[in-house]
Amino acid sequence: MVLRSVMGSVALFVAVIAGPVAAQQPFDENKYPPMAGQWQRVGPLGVFDSTKPPARGQQAPLTAEYQARFEANLAEVAKGGSGDDPVHTCIPEGMPRAMNLVLPMEIVISRNTTYILMEYLTMLRRIYTDGRSFPTDEDPSWMGYSVGKWIDEDGDGRFDVLEIETRNLKNPRTFDPSGLPVHDDAETVVHERFYLDKAKPDILYDEITVMDHALAKPWTVLKTMRREKKPIWVESICSEGNVHVTIGGEQYMLGGDGLLMPFRVGQPPPDLRHFNKK
Amino acid sequence: MKSQFAALLAGAAFLAMGAPASAHHSFAMFDALHPKEISGTVKEFRFVSPHTILIVTVKGQDGVEKEWILEGGAPGLQVREGLTSKSLRPGDEVTVTINPLHSGAEGGSYQPAQVKFKDGRLVVAPKP
Repeated sequence: MVLRSVMGSVALFVAVIAGPVAAQQPFDENKYPPMAGQWQRVGPLGVFDSTKPPARGQQAPLTAEYQARFEANLAEVAKGGSGDDPVHTCIPEGMPRAMNLVLPMEIVISRNTTYILMEYLTMLRRIYTDGRSFPTDEDPSWMGYSVGKWIDEDGDGRFDVLEIETRNLKNPRTFDPSGLPVHDDAETVVHERFYLDKAKPDILYDEITVMDHALAKPWTVLKTMRREKKPIWVESICSEGNVHVTIGGEQYMLGGDGLLMPFRVGQPPPDLRHFNKK
Repeated sequence: MKSQFAALLAGAAFLAMGAPASAHHSFAMFDALHPKEISGTVKEFRFVSPHTILIVTVKGQDGVEKEWILEGGAPGLQVREGLTSKSLRPGDEVTVTINPLHSGAEGGSYQPAQVKFKDGRLVVAPKP
């Protein structure tokens, strides 16, 4: 009787412990497209639509209000300022600007999450592919919260496309260094489709569609990347040697002597009211 | 193929507008329309993020030496263009074509292809 009871307990223990394990299939990397490796941007640096010139040339579908704001920013830039681009103070680019790919990226696929490791500013994208929904109580971030789904479009038993939706983003952000704005409400939603070129597997595409209240309609671009055969990786820690500083809303540069220099002709020095109070 | 060709065209347009090829953020504080040539001695070459920094001691016509700080591209970009942390050393005599700060202060931006040693050699050999 005692033996039967012990055996029953063991069987129950094994069932409880082994149940979830048995239900989980082993991770089969052959089910996923060969996206490993280093991916380099194809096209010019610092633009969201790689097929168009920068700034106004991007022809972003801004609302009238945000077009006016962009024009004011360009006027400020024309006078020698950084305008509305926040990245010069080492704030990360965030999404979707990070996909402009200043420097290369790497894709790492695991069972429940796909990671995009970006060399530039050591930015990390974490794309959950375990079927979860978006959280309702998580603080926003520059890279946002990404939920993805692998899709076997041609039905050959292997995934072809990674679809991603990214939300919960944080400001300040812009689309590019020219200061192309996103809305102040930071309610940007980014949809993406990653897939390899069927004929050239060393070419990767990312179709990006951005919904944002600064835009009169969704903005869709196609990013192209090429696989680097002999990759090198360079550490990118922005605070290491940044010589741009913002004090009291004014932007300055550190000189060769480590002291402040003005950007613009006639720019005032910082307000030093908190010094020499005794 | 079509998208890659369009991207190449956009790249050409980008360069034609005078935008520095290595700038990840706005370089509008530097005057791309009025480049300036400076000659002097390398005091320091920082191969650091977010941008490399070249400090050159330049003697003015009045004999006074001033330190010019020159901001380049991200090290990750420049190393892929052939520039390394050992390409420039303190004491090297160089001539650099820079985009100077609008303010007139001793600062500017530089591209590796615009840096020459005293004997005329380019710091980075042009790609064939």
